Amino acid sequence: MSEEAGGREHAHLDEVGEAARRAEHLRAVGRLDDAERVARAGLTADPDDPRLLGALSAVLLNAQRHEEGLAAADAAVAALPDGERGHRLRALHLSMLGRHEEAVQAGYRCVTLLPEEPAAATGYARTLQRAGRLGDALRVAQRVVELAPDAADSHLLLADIASDMPDPRSRAVARRAYEQTLRLDPENAAARHDLAVLDAVGHRPARALRGLIEAGRMDPAEPTTIRTVAAVLWQLSWRLRIWLLVATIGQIAAAQTVTGSRIAAAVVLAASAGLGLLTLRDLPRQALPVVRGAIRTDRALTATYLALAYCVLVYVLILVSGFGFMAVTVWVVLIGLGWLALIIRIFRRRR
Amino acid sequence: MSTDAPDPLLTSLLAAVDAAPDDVPLRLHVAELLLARGRGAEALQHCSRALTAAPGDPPARGLLRRGTAALAAPQSPQSRPPAVPPAAPAAGGTERPPARPDFDWRQAEEDVADVPQLEPAFVEEAGDPVVEDVLHAAPTVRLADVGGMEQVKQRLELSFLGPMRNPEMAKAFGKGLAGGLLLYGPPGCGKTFLARAVAGELGAGFSEVGISDVLDMWMGRSERNLAEIFRVARRKAPHVLFLDEIDALGQKRSHLTHSAGLRNVVNQLLTEMDSLSGKNDGVFVLGATNHPWDIDSALRRPGRFDRMLLVLPPDEPAREAILRHNLHKRPIEGIDLGKLVKATDGYSGADLAHLCDTAAERALADSVRTGRVRPLTTKDVLTAAREVQPSTGPWFATARNVALFGNSDGSYDELAAYLKKNRKL
Repeated sequence: MSEEAGGREHAHLDEVGEAARRAEHLRAVGRLDDAERVARAGLTADPDDPRLLGALSAVLLNAQRHEEGLAAADAAVAALPDGERGHRLRALHLSMLGRHEEAVQAGYRCVTLLPEEPAAATGYARTLQRAGRLGDALRVAQRVVELAPDAADSHLLLADIASDMPDPRSRAVARRAYEQTLRLDPENAAARHDLAVLDAVGHRPARALRGLIEAGRMDPAEPTTIRTVAAVLWQLSWRLRIWLLVATIGQIAAAQTVTGSRIAAAVVLAASAGLGLLTLRDLPRQALPVVRGAIRTDRALTATYLALAYCVLVYVLILVSGFGFMAVTVWVVLIGLGWLALIIRIFRRRR
Repeated sequence: MSTDAPDPLLTSLLAAVDAAPDDVPLRLHVAELLLARGRGAEALQHCSRALTAAPGDPPARGLLRRGTAALAAPQSPQSRPPAVPPAAPAAGGTERPPARPDFDWRQAEEDVADVPQLEPAFVEEAGDPVVEDVLHAAPTVRLADVGGMEQVKQRLELSFLGPMRNPEMAKAFGKGLAGGLLLYGPPGCGKTFLARAVAGELGAGFSEVGISDVLDMWMGRSERNLAEIFRVARRKAPHVLFLDEIDALGQKRSHLTHSAGLRNVVNQLLTEMDSLSGKNDGVFVLGATNHPWDIDSALRRPGRFDRMLLVLPPDEPAREAILRHNLHKRPIEGIDLGKLVKATDGYSGADLAHLCDTAAERALADSVRTGRVRPLTTKDVLTAAREVQPSTGPWFATARNVALFGNSDGSYDELAAYLKKNRKL
């Protein structure tokens, strides 16, 4: 090759490399449209460049355009059959398209090509997780942690997979991994959120709420946080309903005399206040607007809490009037709420 | 001071200037005469005071340029022979201008120290072409050209333009002029236009910087590009540097763990913004973003983007102005703007433009079908309004979460108040 031709070739490679790097940068800052435009413009000059094809496929992965992304990943693999990234992107797109068997094969190819590369193992673990092979995914995630013990992402992957597993031992693994993620990256909102979800699953709603408020502060734009807060408030509303159901039995039993009704109502109100304080005492001041906002987000939840507030009001009226049989209306309200919760659950599951 | 003989006209004009120090045209006239009489240093003093009274005044700037050029121009040996031999250049240093007993250079430097610097005379002095791409002359738009949005304009005037125009008063109240202003709000609501109008109000040059002007594949080049943009802006002061989509350039560093290059860009931006609070008066940094919550918190500290202004979808007068602007060049008939304004609450400026395009397409299709021009009517636009939904909805959904979770320091009080007022919180 002549010196001049060599120089031209070198300049061309520089241009293509620049386009690929630029597309990757733009993707990293969330400018997906610009990143796609840069990658496609680069591909018009060199349609078979694996770096550009990889950059385009990665942009399309972020944009959740998996059919097009898979085509770009296929082209990247064809251009560079031993390139790990092309196979990884292909595996991830296939997995998102629900073609799990092919995805797992492509993921396995990645770890065969680069067995010591954490990114390759991460891609493989994700494809296994989406394919429902949680045990295998957990083993691969543990390997990722061995390869990159100081990376918060490695621990987050392990925690994410472990938390999907039903057994309590895996849940303990998940908790430790989430805590390790937060030690390495204290502002990791995803880890904080998911740890709060573990608390909610473990029937610790106040702790879950506190965690969710922290996660919301770390990443206020994340839409799932407020939905999870609403889910925790549903959980709390169940507790309140059960407590009121039990309390109403006692109230009706004591409804024979005015004094008995008043004493029973006072006990119920005092116990309710005590339980409420015990549950919510550690919540930050910011919790109130968040809770109010979450209740307003969900109309059924709004109706539930309004009905529960009515029940408390009935107890105040009993305390004032001494007419204990008013507690029957609490039962009526609780039965209504039970039906409402059932309908909502069926409706939302179908959706 | 000049050694020329007393000039009765100049003497009387100087007395008039003393009596009316804020009369800019009079002061400029005097400066013109002084310049014509070769008393450049005095002329510059007057230009400087005229610019203090009327920042960005074009005649004052023009005269300042001429005055400075006259002072800087090499003196012809025939016309002004040096009274003493020129001083020898300092060892190893740069050559200094020859000493003249009739001219106090130190005084002249002090006189012009606070006036805007001049643009380079030659293109090659202008620096990196990448940087020059983003530099523009002072925009001609003013806040008065922004239709409606009185509240935003008022807040801009109070929190930003007022102190900039009255630096002494701001200083007296302990309010520094350093720091930038961050405009945020849903997309398509005129943040860029407002930034241009602010530059127009300040009479300053304007540079619009996007991420593509900064990012470069080579390690360290992006930071260099950014530094160069700020350096040139300082040289061209007074200058407004508008960083569009600042969330891309100044993203939270915790989100950039995998990109050391981009983290360095954020660090460089922090450094440049810091230097603004020091010696770089005359550079006003405006930022615009749809996602202020994605910006690194260090960028919002005092001296950087410490003032935030919410730019909301256009209010009724603004919508009327935008609709009028988008419809006036099209064939229209009996357009009831009041009705359209009421039907388009929550639409952004871009949505309104799209709405008019959609309505026009409908009328055009009819016209093509019948072979006769059918003008656009209110009904066409209202029908289009049922098809084109406001694009600001998703932004407000996110903004609601931000007002709930991310407002512990009160940064988003304005947003929270708006959401509450509109029953969105």
